Amino acid sequence: MKYHLVTLGCQMNQSDSERVKRVLEGMGAQWTDDENDANIIGILACSVRQKAIDKVYSKIANWNKRKASQNLITFISGCILPADKKKFLKLFDIVFAMRELPQFPQMMSQYGITTPVGLEKDNLNPKEEMSFFWQVKPKYNSSFEAFIPIQNGCDKFCSFCAVPYTRGREVSRPSQEIIDEVKSLVEKGYKSITLLGQNVNSYGLDKKGNELSFSQLLEEIGKIGNESSQTFWVYFTSPHPRDMGRDVVEVIAKYDCLAKQIHLPIQSGDDKVLIKMNRKHSVKKYRETVSVIRELIPQATLFTDIIVGFSGETEEQFQNTRKALKEFEYNMAYIAMYSKRPGAASYSWPDDVDLKVKKERLVLLSEDLAEVAGSYNRNMLGNVYSVLVRDTDRKGGYLSSQTEGKITVRFASEDQSLIGQIVNVKITSASNFSVEGELVEVSELVE
Amino acid sequence: MERFKKMNKQAIIMSKEVPVANKIKTDLHEILDIRYLTDSTFVLRIEKKELDFEAGQHVCVGPPNGIHTREYSIYSAEQDDCLEILVKEVENGLVSPSLKKLQKGGFVVVEEPVGYFTINKNLPANQKYVFIASGTGISPFHSFVLSKPDLNYTLLHGVKYAEEAYEADAFNKEDYVLCTSQESKGDYNGRVTDYLKTNSFGKDAHYYLCGNCNMIHDVYDILEEQGVSTDNIHAEVYF
Repeated sequence: MKYHLVTLGCQMNQSDSERVKRVLEGMGAQWTDDENDANIIGILACSVRQKAIDKVYSKIANWNKRKASQNLITFISGCILPADKKKFLKLFDIVFAMRELPQFPQMMSQYGITTPVGLEKDNLNPKEEMSFFWQVKPKYNSSFEAFIPIQNGCDKFCSFCAVPYTRGREVSRPSQEIIDEVKSLVEKGYKSITLLGQNVNSYGLDKKGNELSFSQLLEEIGKIGNESSQTFWVYFTSPHPRDMGRDVVEVIAKYDCLAKQIHLPIQSGDDKVLIKMNRKHSVKKYRETVSVIRELIPQATLFTDIIVGFSGETEEQFQNTRKALKEFEYNMAYIAMYSKRPGAASYSWPDDVDLKVKKERLVLLSEDLAEVAGSYNRNMLGNVYSVLVRDTDRKGGYLSSQTEGKITVRFASEDQSLIGQIVNVKITSASNFSVEGELVEVSELVE
Repeated sequence: MERFKKMNKQAIIMSKEVPVANKIKTDLHEILDIRYLTDSTFVLRIEKKELDFEAGQHVCVGPPNGIHTREYSIYSAEQDDCLEILVKEVENGLVSPSLKKLQKGGFVVVEEPVGYFTINKNLPANQKYVFIASGTGISPFHSFVLSKPDLNYTLLHGVKYAEEAYEADAFNKEDYVLCTSQESKGDYNGRVTDYLKTNSFGKDAHYYLCGNCNMIHDVYDILEEQGVSTDNIHAEVYF
């Protein structure tokens, strides 16, 4: 029995896919790269973009055609809007919420496949279901880079986003499980660990005082780093500016293993747009948080997410976003043109910024980003940085790596045994979004 | 197709007779009472069960056999033994038309209360609050005032017609200003924004804005002109 899994969307889905693979392999299924060779095919859907949902419909149409000549079971999970879920029930053999993953073998057995795994849990509420889901051991996709889900769901209800309707309310994973998973990964030699959640820094709030706060969780992880002889970097994504307190930044500053890279989505640099987006923070509040980061961790790199052309966004409001981008000197911004998502509150609002204008705003903002990011990169010249080698580079004879601050660095080497290792590289040239360097043995590190 | 039908049936059986598409929902709460305030606006009184909340928070509510929920600010007091929400039927809405069809003794799906539009507990007891609502945006303020009767507040409620005052008896008469834009039966004939332009409440007050986005944007501009810090402005947009 062979299986194939298509994973769409964000790192949370990537992380979930590691647990799905573990469950499938626990049932005796073997991975195949070729979906035409699989008897079980699944897809982890993403509802953030219509394009991703369109891909699901295209895939399942093809798979269902194959059923005429082949024994095939299809399933779907991930971020699915209720309206899509209703349609998928008619198209897929099994449709389940990710929190129901532990019951997946049971669902499969009801389709005539005997599996060695069986669970007796029933009558569970979503919080209980999530606790069983997190107990499923993931089959990590990488031997040096891992993602640890610490929370599921979202309570923020940003008007452009459908996640609160696909993943439900925030549920925090027990801290001891997270700490144990970090310890286990560090012992196995993992170099990059990312804590995942829709709003990681509201971690624990749903437990109303009966769980560590996010800063306390980071502190416990920081202690693991202090006690370990291994070098590793712990990241988190995504935090919400509303809940990003000084306590979190202080802990990051205190522990070497907590990576000095912060992803802080701003979405817009205009207060009125932020209100309409239901972001629950002002530019002033965001500015205060960035000031704390610059004060306590001056070497930290700053990443963000921005939406251009949100419903009703005026030229003046867009210009405020440009000002914000320049003021906060981001190293990277993931800039998206606004598009309506069924299920999100803004779906009923006019998508009234012309596509041409959206594209222009995207270009302008990208140019601004290139300027500020490039300026940072040029300051790296001549300095030596520790980098995690991640893969071979597109440029032949080079390896691709990232600094602790997630600046992409490539250097000449064909030694693939370096992949997954932290090495030292001296920066020799810089462009706007990456730098190039040469491998050095011993160095004075900047980061 | 037969194979799919069989599978769908199985999927429904697996999920304890609730369609799989509904499994995101957490709990069914009985409707204890329905009070119609206008032809299109009503209060749903529902079982509270174990749900604790802070005044100003909202719950996602939907019909028991539907696939959608929508956020509704809680209308009742924290200490009440039931939960109330104020619903206005929205034409072609995903949820409100279905809620309107429900009857006493029926059920709704209610998810856990969440939200940040709450009174800051660190502010002094005599803190001055200015609540500014449009339409059913009155709901969280109703909960504030019933939950904390000693609040020092002024409430500006913007509606088209006086019949949309929605159980205004809950508020102290001297603290409540009904602004009616389409008739002169309110305390003030005009929009809340017009009232606010000529009646300043000072820079030290905390302003809570709830209702449609246009009203919130306009009020935000006026308050900025009056020198109010954005730290003192709290907004909850109704969609």
